[in-house]
Amino acid sequence: MSPSELAKCRRVLTAALAVVACSGLAQDARAHPHVWATVRSEILLDDNHQITGIRHAWTFDEFYSAMAVQGLDKNGDGVYSAEELKPLAEVNVNSLKDFDYFTFVHIGDGDNLRLKPPENYSLDYDKGLLTLHFTLPLEKPVDTHKQTVDVDVYDPSFFVAFGFATEAPVKLAGNNVKGCTAEIKKPDPDSEEDAKALSEAFFSQLGPNSNFGSQFAQTVAVKCNDAHL
Amino acid sequence: MRSLAGCAGCLVFCALFLWVTISAASAEMKPLNPFAAEVAPAGGVQAAPPSAFGAPNAAQQSPGAFGGILGWVLRTQQSLQRDLATGVKSLKGEHAVAGAFMLAALSFIYGVVHAVGPGHGKTIISSYVVANEETVRRGVIISFIAAGLQALTAIALVGILAFALNASGMQINAWSNQLETVSYALIALVGAWLLTTQLIVIFRRWQESRAEAPSGKAAHDHHHVHAEHHHHHHHIHDRVHDHRHDHDRDHHGHHHAEGKACHHIVDARELAGPFSWRKILAVVFSVGIRPCTGAILVLVFALTQGMFWAGVAATLAMAIGTAITVAVLATLALGSREIALRLGGRSGAFANAVWTTCSLGGSALILLFGATLFAASLGPARPF
Repeated sequence: MSPSELAKCRRVLTAALAVVACSGLAQDARAHPHVWATVRSEILLDDNHQITGIRHAWTFDEFYSAMAVQGLDKNGDGVYSAEELKPLAEVNVNSLKDFDYFTFVHIGDGDNLRLKPPENYSLDYDKGLLTLHFTLPLEKPVDTHKQTVDVDVYDPSFFVAFGFATEAPVKLAGNNVKGCTAEIKKPDPDSEEDAKALSEAFFSQLGPNSNFGSQFAQTVAVKCNDAHL
Repeated sequence: MRSLAGCAGCLVFCALFLWVTISAASAEMKPLNPFAAEVAPAGGVQAAPPSAFGAPNAAQQSPGAFGGILGWVLRTQQSLQRDLATGVKSLKGEHAVAGAFMLAALSFIYGVVHAVGPGHGKTIISSYVVANEETVRRGVIISFIAAGLQALTAIALVGILAFALNASGMQINAWSNQLETVSYALIALVGAWLLTTQLIVIFRRWQESRAEAPSGKAAHDHHHVHAEHHHHHHHIHDRVHDHRHDHDRDHHGHHHAEGKACHHIVDARELAGPFSWRKILAVVFSVGIRPCTGAILVLVFALTQGMFWAGVAATLAMAIGTAITVAVLATLALGSREIALRLGGRSGAFANAVWTTCSLGGSALILLFGATLFAASLGPARPF
């Protein structure tokens, strides 16, 4: 085979393999969500404007809700009481640990702050939608005066698509929240990000530690102003 | 690079077609929705406002939650899922018949779109047909059987566990995860089996060529034919050879005008392995026993609405949609192999290289994929 033939051969094989790879490899990890969760969060502040924790309320889509409560109406009265949903809430909350509670608190590009296991958790079921409530305490309260604290909510494997609620997605809770703000960072609809997302989808999708979902992170930026203390 | 241009054109066309169909479907869906004006739940930190999109009492995420192209894909998927829910509910209303058709159409589209996502055997089936001597027709048949089996698995799972035994969602999930793990393990085994078979062929050929070496170059062609003749009758020589011959009677008189080049093509296609139902069933079974999560969700949702049959119908329509996507991708994969072969012209060595790459690469991909997904499926149980 002549060198030019060889080069052609390589090109064709690359093209053929690329088509096969595109067709499957690209998305064949968990790049598409099956569960949609609408997020409403309260940022818990102490009197010194330190974040002590986050109280989440995640409302699931009606498909997942129907799936989750299936068979749990033990007394058959057509109502899913908090009591009946308790075992499910426990399973949910306990297995959240392996997924870092899908909540990542950090300052700038710093490491994620450590979280303690959820407290005050419960599930409620209303008009076909299931909502999980729980409080995530921070191991050490974090100051919000000199720095903006970011709270990301997302599923790295993107099996669950988290999105903030349209109305009142974030609240500040505490006796002294004056001068503090919690703003949702708009995801940047930049094409650059899409390009990155696509290349990540192509190449880093296979592993169980894939971080594909991070590009869809929903972020709250929390900041307090000294003047109001 | 005609193949790439063609593929790109085809994809753009498919995307446009889907977009038009989806928007038409969801536009028509709205008047049917009896719950359109309902207010979102009071659960959560604060009550959500009345739904802006006419979706039934569903919690609303902010529309800007996901930006960009991928965001668009996500929003489309989410609105499709909501429309499906509305479709199932509409069956209880006055427009039950119209609702049923709409549900079937929506499920079909959902299947087509959804199959682009993970777990519908695209990669496995595409790799398999490329690695083996399969035709487009068989690629399509394999895609349909696999999708049908996946649908039946989901129906059986939800039917038995939820409908008959009133098992909880957690139990259904656990079963579904078990089946998933088994499926991935089987996929890895199928890949290993295909690869081993091919490596054995390569090893034998290498041994034969070593044994032949001392007999001299002049006799090479003749010996080669003799050494390999027992394999030849497996083959369907319809594309590479211009002429046909009856192998059962004609083993030893196996001489062609193309001479050496022809043998090499035969060798390489032999590596790809002949058509066999045993192989196809193994592939279809390994892919098919993993129920699609989307189908399970629709089935359970339909069950809670008291219309399990609607879920079954939706699942079957979805399977047809899934099968079409997978079949298209398998056909594209076969097409690119065919184009690769044609670009080589009469060069036997070139065709040989294409076949060898396709068969070894395809089998290796199946093995790699099954093994990786198997390992990933052993991870911690998901909370949702």
